[in-house]
Amino acid sequence: MSHHDVIVVGTGLAGLTAAARLAEGGARVLVLAKGVGATHLSPCTIDVLGYAPDRVSDPGAALAGLGEDHPYAAVGRDGVAAAIGWFTDAMRDRYPYTGGLDRNLLLPTAVGALKPTAVVPETMAAGDGSDPVLVVGFTALKDFHAPLLADNLSRAGIAARAVELGLVPEGRVDVNSLGFARAFDDPAFRAEVAAQLVARLGADERVAFPAVLGIADAPAAWGTLRERLARPVFEVPTLPPSVPGMRVFAVLRERLRRAGVRVILNAVVGGAERAGGRVSAVRARVGLREVTYGCDWVVLASGGFASGGLELDSRWKARERALGLPVTGVPTDERFRADYFAEQPMARAGVAVDRDLRPEGHENVLVAGATLAGAQPWREKSGDGISLATGHRAAELILGAAVPSEPARAA
Amino acid sequence: MASLETDVLVIGGGATGAGVAWDCALRGFDTILVDRADLAEGTSGRFHGLLHSGGRYVVKDPVAADECVAENAILRRVIPDCIEDTGGLFVVTPDDDPAYGDAFLEGCRRANLPTEEIGVGEALKLEPRLNPGIKRAFTVPDGSIDAWKTVWALARGASARGARILTYHKVVDLKVEGDAVVGARVRNELTGEELDVGARFTLNASGAWAAQIVKMAGIEGVGVIPGKGIMIAMNHRLVNTVVNRCTMPADGDILVPIRTVSVIGTTDIRAADPDEIPVTQDEVDAMLDDGERLVPGFRDARALRVWAGVRPLFQDEKASGQAAADTRDVSRTHAVVDHVERDGVGRFLTMSGGKLTTLRLMAQDLVDAMCRQLGEDRPCTTTTARPPDNDDGQLYSLGARLRRREATLQEEQLICECELIGRTRLEETMRRRGTTNLDDVRRSLRLGMGPCQGGFCIYRATGILHGVGRLDGPEASASLRGFLQERWKGMWPILYGDQLRQARLDDWIFQGLLDVEHVPG
Repeated sequence: MSHHDVIVVGTGLAGLTAAARLAEGGARVLVLAKGVGATHLSPCTIDVLGYAPDRVSDPGAALAGLGEDHPYAAVGRDGVAAAIGWFTDAMRDRYPYTGGLDRNLLLPTAVGALKPTAVVPETMAAGDGSDPVLVVGFTALKDFHAPLLADNLSRAGIAARAVELGLVPEGRVDVNSLGFARAFDDPAFRAEVAAQLVARLGADERVAFPAVLGIADAPAAWGTLRERLARPVFEVPTLPPSVPGMRVFAVLRERLRRAGVRVILNAVVGGAERAGGRVSAVRARVGLREVTYGCDWVVLASGGFASGGLELDSRWKARERALGLPVTGVPTDERFRADYFAEQPMARAGVAVDRDLRPEGHENVLVAGATLAGAQPWREKSGDGISLATGHRAAELILGAAVPSEPARAA
Repeated sequence: MASLETDVLVIGGGATGAGVAWDCALRGFDTILVDRADLAEGTSGRFHGLLHSGGRYVVKDPVAADECVAENAILRRVIPDCIEDTGGLFVVTPDDDPAYGDAFLEGCRRANLPTEEIGVGEALKLEPRLNPGIKRAFTVPDGSIDAWKTVWALARGASARGARILTYHKVVDLKVEGDAVVGARVRNELTGEELDVGARFTLNASGAWAAQIVKMAGIEGVGVIPGKGIMIAMNHRLVNTVVNRCTMPADGDILVPIRTVSVIGTTDIRAADPDEIPVTQDEVDAMLDDGERLVPGFRDARALRVWAGVRPLFQDEKASGQAAADTRDVSRTHAVVDHVERDGVGRFLTMSGGKLTTLRLMAQDLVDAMCRQLGEDRPCTTTTARPPDNDDGQLYSLGARLRRREATLQEEQLICECELIGRTRLEETMRRRGTTNLDDVRRSLRLGMGPCQGGFCIYRATGILHGVGRLDGPEASASLRGFLQERWKGMWPILYGDQLRQARLDDWIFQGLLDVEHVPG
C-alpha cells in the first residue's frame, strides 16, 4: 500500500487548489478523482458573494453577515483574501485574474443579466462598465446568442447592439465553445474575425465575445483582438463546456505536474480504513481494480449533488459517497418549494464541519467546496468563491497542523 | 366586437375536440375550434400514452373493452405515425390473485380480444426487467400513442379542410337565443380581445371542464367528476412492451414504454377542481412502490418528471340522483348528452366521459348526434381517412427520429440533443405556430422533455425565438422564466438520485451562469 501525506479527493476548483497549495508547502499529495471536475462546467469567475439576499457591492464586508453555518464562517475574510491572493498569483503567467474582495464587478451573462462577481479573468474584466457594447456572436455557436444579450443589456441601461458572424471553423455548422476556442488559437482565424469587425465598430464601443477566445493561449488571442480592434475586449461565458474553466484546469493541473503530484482519474473513492477518529487509508476503485491508499490526511472535495459527491435516494436519504460522512440539512417534510426561484429548503444540505473544516468524528479529514453544508451557491453566487477559499484553507490548516488549530485562527 | 360565423363551434382542443373538428371538416361542415390554452394542454397531453387493447376493461367494464378492441385497430390504420406497436403484457404479480387470470382470459374471449397465455420464462425473456416472481403472463395488442402528435395531426387535417383552430381563445359565455345555443363569446387570452362566434351548432368537447361550459347555457345538474391521476416518466425504456398488472384496475398498475421513456400510472382521486391538481410526495412514494412491484429496482431508476391529469368522469344528477363515491367505479365509456331531451336546449351537445383510445368513436358519436338533430345525412369517414403526416401507413418506430437526424447531422445545428430537434424544425415550428411561448414549442416538438429537462436547449430556443423576431427582450425573459417555473412543477416532487443531480446542474446554468432571475424586465 502506498502512503501519502495527503489524499485529495476531487479535481474541481477546491481539490485542485488544495492539492497545489499543499504541494507547494512541501506535502506529498495524491489526487484521486472520478474524472475532470466542475471547472469544465463553471465559468470560473470567482463569485465570492453576489446576493445576500439583495445585490452585494462589497463582498468582503458582506461575508460578516453570513450565518455561523455558512462555509465562509470557517474561513473568515482574511482567509478568503489569502486564497484569492494565492490563486491570482498562481494564474498570473498563463491566465491572469483581476479584482478583489472590496468591490463586486458586474459582468453581463449570456442572457444579459449583470452578475456580481469578485475576481475574474482579465479577458472578462472589461465587461464591467457603462460604455456601449458591441456583442459579437457566431451563427455556428448555438450556446451564445448575441442579439438576446445586447437587447437585455440595453434595457439594463448599457447601450448595446449585436453582430453575428458566419464563420464556420472546420467547415461545420454546429461547433461548441471548445471548437471555437481551438479556432481562435489559430492566428489566421482571429485575424479574419478582426477583419470582419473592424469597419463595423462604433467610436466608444467595448467589444464582447463569447468566452471562446483561445484555449492553448487565451491571453494571446484576447491580446490580438484588443490590438486589432483598438477597443476594450471582453469575454462572456457560454453554456458548458466552459472554456475559461478548462483554462483554469489546465494551469492548475500543470502546476501539480511540476510539483510532482500524482493525479489519478477514473478513481472512485468508496470507503476508508479508520482507527479511532482517524482515517488511515482510503479505498478506491481504479478502473476495475480495488486499490487502498494510505494517508495522514484527507481533503474531501468531491463536489455536491451536482457533481455526484452527494446523493439523495428515492426514500430521501442523503449520502456522502466517498467516505460515508453524515449529511445534514435535508428537511424531513418540505424539501422543495413550488416556486422555482424561491429559496429551496434542500439547498443548504451537505456535510457540516467545524471551524477546521472537519466533519463530526473525524480528526484528519477536511472537507472543501460544494460538499459543504450551509451555502446556496447558485442563488447567492458564491460557488467558486467557496471552493477556492475552503480548498485553500484546508491546505493551510494541514500545513500548519504542527501547531494545533485554535478557534482564534479561524475567525 | 369582431365576429365570426361558422356551421359548427367545437369547444375544447384536446383529443376529443380535435377529433370532432377533423370529423366535422371531413363531413363538409365549416368548423371553428376554440381552446382556452394550447392544443392538448389539458387531459390529453397529461396521460400515460397507452393505446388500450381493451384488456384492462374486459372483466370490469365490458362495453369499454369492446370499444377499445375496435378503436385500437382503426387508429393503427388511420394515424399509424402516432402509434408504436409495442404490444402488451398482463402479468400476475406475487401480490395478485392468479384466479383473476381466468376471468381475464374469459373476458378477452368474449370481447374478441386476441390474447395468449405465455410461460413466465418466455415473458421474462421478452422483458428481462420484469419481476421474476410473476405467476402468469398474457399477451395483448396494446401500443403507445403520442397524444400531442395525434391532436396536432387531427387539427392540421381539419385546418387543411378549412377549419379554423383558435388556441388561447377561452369561452366566456354561450350565446343562447330562445331554446337554442347559437355560438359563444370568446376571449383571446393573449390579447384580451373578445370575439363573437356565431354557430349553427355548438359541440362541447371540453372534457373535465364540460360542466363549466354547460352552466353557461343555464343548464344545471350536469356534473363531471375530475378524477385525478398522477404519472411519472422514467428515463429510459425500462420495458419495451406495455406491462399491465393482471388484476382489477388499481393504482400504479400500468407501465408504458413511449418514445425514449417509460411512464408509470396512475392513480384515481376525486378532485374538487380540474385546475387544482397538485402532486403530493405521498402519491409519488406510493407510485414508486407500485413500480417496484412490476420492475424490481424501479426506485433506483431515474425519474424525469411527474404530472397529473384529470379524467372527465361524467355524472348526471338527473339520471343517477347521487354522486359516485369512488371514481374508479365510474364507467370509462363515453356518452353524448342530448340537451334537447334533457334540458330543452337545442343545437348544443356535450361529450362526456371517454378516453383517448376511443377519441375517434367519441367524435363520430357526437357528430352523428348533431347530424340527426340537424336532419342532415352526412356519413362519417374517419374510419378510413388519414390526417396529414400519416400517409405512409407505417407505425412509428423508436429509431425513426434518429434516422432522420443522422441524414442531416453535418448540415444543421442540433438544438435539443435529448430529443434530437434540429434548428430548422424549431424555427419552422415557431413560425408556423406564431407562438411566443416556449411551453407551446415544447408540446409541439418535445423540446426540453428529455433527461436534461431543457437545461441546454431552453437558452438556445430563447435565443432563437428572439433572433427570428418572435420575442423582444422582455418577452424572451418572461418566456424563459415561465418555462423554468412550469418545468419545476413537474420536477420537484421526484427530485432524487440522478434527476436531482441534473436539476442541480440546471440550477448551475440558469442561476449560477446566466442569472436568469436578475435579467431585466
